[in-house]
Amino acid sequence: MKPTLAFFLDYYNESMYPTLKILEEKRLKALGTLKKTVIVLFCSITLLSFILIHNAYLSPLHTSLILGIAGLIIFAVIYHYVKVGYTSLFKDHVIGKIIHFIDPSLIYTKTGSIDEHEYQHSELFLEPYDRFFGQDLVSGSIDSVNVRFCDLHVEKKVHDKDDKEVWQDIFQGLFFRADFNKTFHSKVVVLPDIAEHSFGILGSWMQGMNRQRGELIKLDHVEFEKLFVVYGSDQIESRYILSHALMEKIVQFRTKIDKPLYLSFVDSSMFLALHYTKPLFEPILLRSLLDFDSIKDYFERLSMIIGIVNEFKLNEKLWSKH
Amino acid sequence: METFLIVAGVIFLIIVFMYNTLISKKNQVENIFAGLDAILKKRYDLLPNLIASVQEYMVHEQITLEKMTELRSKAVTSTLDNRETIALDKQITSMLGNLMVSVENYPTLKANENFLHLQGTLGELEEQISAARRAYNQSVTDYNNAIEMFPTNFMAKVMKLGRKEVFSVPASERQNVDVKNLFQK
Repeated sequence: MKPTLAFFLDYYNESMYPTLKILEEKRLKALGTLKKTVIVLFCSITLLSFILIHNAYLSPLHTSLILGIAGLIIFAVIYHYVKVGYTSLFKDHVIGKIIHFIDPSLIYTKTGSIDEHEYQHSELFLEPYDRFFGQDLVSGSIDSVNVRFCDLHVEKKVHDKDDKEVWQDIFQGLFFRADFNKTFHSKVVVLPDIAEHSFGILGSWMQGMNRQRGELIKLDHVEFEKLFVVYGSDQIESRYILSHALMEKIVQFRTKIDKPLYLSFVDSSMFLALHYTKPLFEPILLRSLLDFDSIKDYFERLSMIIGIVNEFKLNEKLWSKH
Repeated sequence: METFLIVAGVIFLIIVFMYNTLISKKNQVENIFAGLDAILKKRYDLLPNLIASVQEYMVHEQITLEKMTELRSKAVTSTLDNRETIALDKQITSMLGNLMVSVENYPTLKANENFLHLQGTLGELEEQISAARRAYNQSVTDYNNAIEMFPTNFMAKVMKLGRKEVFSVPASERQNVDVKNLFQK
């Protein structure tokens, strides 16, 4: 059965709805706890402010600043505690079930991640990082193609203008690995074309100078060239990997998704990184689970990811991969 | 005097830069052509096996097979320059295309495991040849641009560098395949 939205609606009503009703009660309970926390904190802060200001222990400005920050910290701790419990249940009963519906052979591990070695091996992001966090690992085989993907967040520590340490994103979003349908020995990296897009010929020249990535590969697909810059270690093999048909599919996928897309082809595997600004499979506490539209978003996102295998025709293997 | 030396130094550096750019583009063409040649060689090596495996079935295609054997011998025995290699490759590609269309008329051959294996290997080689042709064409375009564009065109004239030819797709291959006709044959 092809996992279409119509079939998923039936599955939602028959298999997910009874469990979601129980989960919805937990969500409302969690929201109730947060509301109570806000009320209690507000009352406590007001009372404390009154006492502190009235007895002239602190100035009104200092009092509101100290109590405001303390209130925010207490709320953040309680919010985190409440959200963690709910998120865990949500992932079991929503994300896990959707994945099982799309392809029962796939294995979902909510706390799992692709490992750092795989991330480094992809050569998609060469910057050194200080924090590596992944979750929602899905692994298995789709149409005989081995896949692994997860929600990944990689950051580095930098100093801002005031010399304070801040965390800066290197990558946040979907990190996907699949067997590629051709055997090859070189490396190809496809990155969003920012330099040429912004600086024209000068940008193109700058890209050619980036020897850290390998040789600049100029490709004969106008749309693809506008969207991406390609580096490879072998001019011929890079074009063997990036055939016209594949470039066309990548352009279509990029246009459809409309998010920064990174691809690399290393050791007969394809790595894909799709930039998202938020975690992919986190629940939204304010949205009802009994509203199909909110669940539909997760289904569509997961179908899109799992559909990458068919989208790029990775299941159509060449002779040497049979 | 100092100004003269600075200007002379800058001019010298520009000449060196242009010279090196042209040489690097010329070498790039040669390097990629060598890569293409290596893949074409693989195809030449495969052709005798292909011909041997099909000739007992394809009784009506003897002329094509003989012509292909002749082209293959020419490719492996003589030293061809780039232009001749390109021309010969075009002929072999066209012959192979005809042969593969004719296979449709021989159901026993289509089911033969040895032939299926050869067909698969050949299909993959064609993908590699196509990639090599694209890489070669890009390097030739870069080279031709460099020898014709200002100011490197002056340096190219001094170095006696001439235009190189790109691979072009034969007219027959540009047409869409008529699947209906193909199966009616």
